[in-house]
Amino acid sequence: MSARAVVNWFVDRLALKPILDYMHKKEIPQHHHTIWYYTGSSILLFLFIQIFTGILLALYYQPTLEGANASVGRIMTELPLGWLVRSIHSWSATFMIATVMIHMLAIWFTKSYRKPREVTWMTGFVLLVVSMMFGFTGYLLPWDDLSLAATKVGTNIPKAIPVVGTWVTQLLRGGDDVTGDTLTRFFIFHVCVLPLLVFAIMVIHILLVQKEGMSIPLKDEVEKKKLPWLPFWPNFILRETMIWLVLLGIVLTLSVLFAPSLDLSADLMAPAPEGVKPEWYFLFLFQTLKIFPANMGPVTGEFVAVVLILVVIMAIFFMPFLEAKPLGKRGKLVTYGGILGIIYAIAMSIWSLL
Amino acid sequence: MRKLWFGFLLVTVSLALVPLEAIAGQEGTAPNVKDKAQIEAAAALPSGRTGESPAAQAAPPQDVKPAGEVPAKPGALPSGRAGAAPAKKPPAIRTEPIVPAYQNIKERSAVRVFYVWLWLSIGVLLYFLRWWVQEADRVYRAKFYEPVESPRKDNPLPPLLGE
Repeated sequence: MSARAVVNWFVDRLALKPILDYMHKKEIPQHHHTIWYYTGSSILLFLFIQIFTGILLALYYQPTLEGANASVGRIMTELPLGWLVRSIHSWSATFMIATVMIHMLAIWFTKSYRKPREVTWMTGFVLLVVSMMFGFTGYLLPWDDLSLAATKVGTNIPKAIPVVGTWVTQLLRGGDDVTGDTLTRFFIFHVCVLPLLVFAIMVIHILLVQKEGMSIPLKDEVEKKKLPWLPFWPNFILRETMIWLVLLGIVLTLSVLFAPSLDLSADLMAPAPEGVKPEWYFLFLFQTLKIFPANMGPVTGEFVAVVLILVVIMAIFFMPFLEAKPLGKRGKLVTYGGILGIIYAIAMSIWSLL
Repeated sequence: MRKLWFGFLLVTVSLALVPLEAIAGQEGTAPNVKDKAQIEAAAALPSGRTGESPAAQAAPPQDVKPAGEVPAKPGALPSGRAGAAPAKKPPAIRTEPIVPAYQNIKERSAVRVFYVWLWLSIGVLLYFLRWWVQEADRVYRAKFYEPVESPRKDNPLPPLLGE
């Protein structure tokens, strides 16, 4: 039996023909923003790396107060290439979140969130938040002093939210304070709840992208310009493969050269160490909270900061409805707002590091 | 273009051959191998570890067993099966952070070989993929490939990347 016959058997039995036909029909518009299309698929590459290395790490990781730090230490010192697997997991997470951010900014500036892609934008934004939650929950798992202190600060923030704040904090911590229960809870979030959430939302996101097709630049759409198109299979996929290979090489190289170390096991009774810092993608939020004074009239500064951050998050989430005419004045305002947002995030992150 | 690809391959391979510690340039961020004596001492250990703290490394030499000689577990029977369950040994408390390090010279060599192989294969794959892309684009331009029921058959043909 030839290989072709085996493939045909699977295609027939699994009813894959409509999908293969669709891939043959699918076309990608070619224009000066085509490069941004590749960011979406790069996220998938990093997600695959995360799943693979995450499974390897989970085989030896122990989500308990006594075992967490020691098991990570064991992974790094006793298992063959364990330090490399952990390093790849860490670097791939960084690249994944960075790529999700770049992807969202590309959509923002090309205004691809406009009708009929509102839900695609909203699911994409939820995916960014879930990716950051992955980072937040994963940061505690090595259970060292720095991650414990950062988690204490991070899980304390929701307390400032009116009505549900205290409940959210308790839900995250599994009690009033960060303890071994928090560690177990974060582990379950990290390896079970969040992956399920990501898969569910990602399926919706990808289906919507296929349904609505790739967006073309706003200017070309208004001018009804005829753009050249490229077949998805094999022309676009092959180009994509080239980018995947280069990214894979970069991640592996960085993982070998700059592997993360492991600090001493956290002591719940010890005071918070100096220089507590969250991961790089939370630095601007961390600094934003820090610059607010303790009290602002009848309310606390933290309350004002959290409410402001929530308002901005909701505004970004509902962006397609707030800005329905991208060519109008409001459209320009959104573009300038995006640029200001990037400058603010970079400036705050640098300030936080100083 | 061929010169460019040749240069790319040359740079990636030579990058892989440069000692990784030299590229990283600082202790504590890059995997580093302890000095030769430590590597040899570690190779004599059953697990071949080098990641112990200096205090542990300064332990009396009688703790070091010859390679292949695995100490019997307390309570172990001659058949190899355990009798009464041995008391669980509490984990040793670390006093200093763990810096990622190659466990032994074998692992270091494996990472080096992997690193060279990785970039070499990426370079070679990119070289062939570029040919493949060119061929796919040529076939598309020549209209051998026509998407079924495409609404855009009359559109101008796409330019190649880099043209």
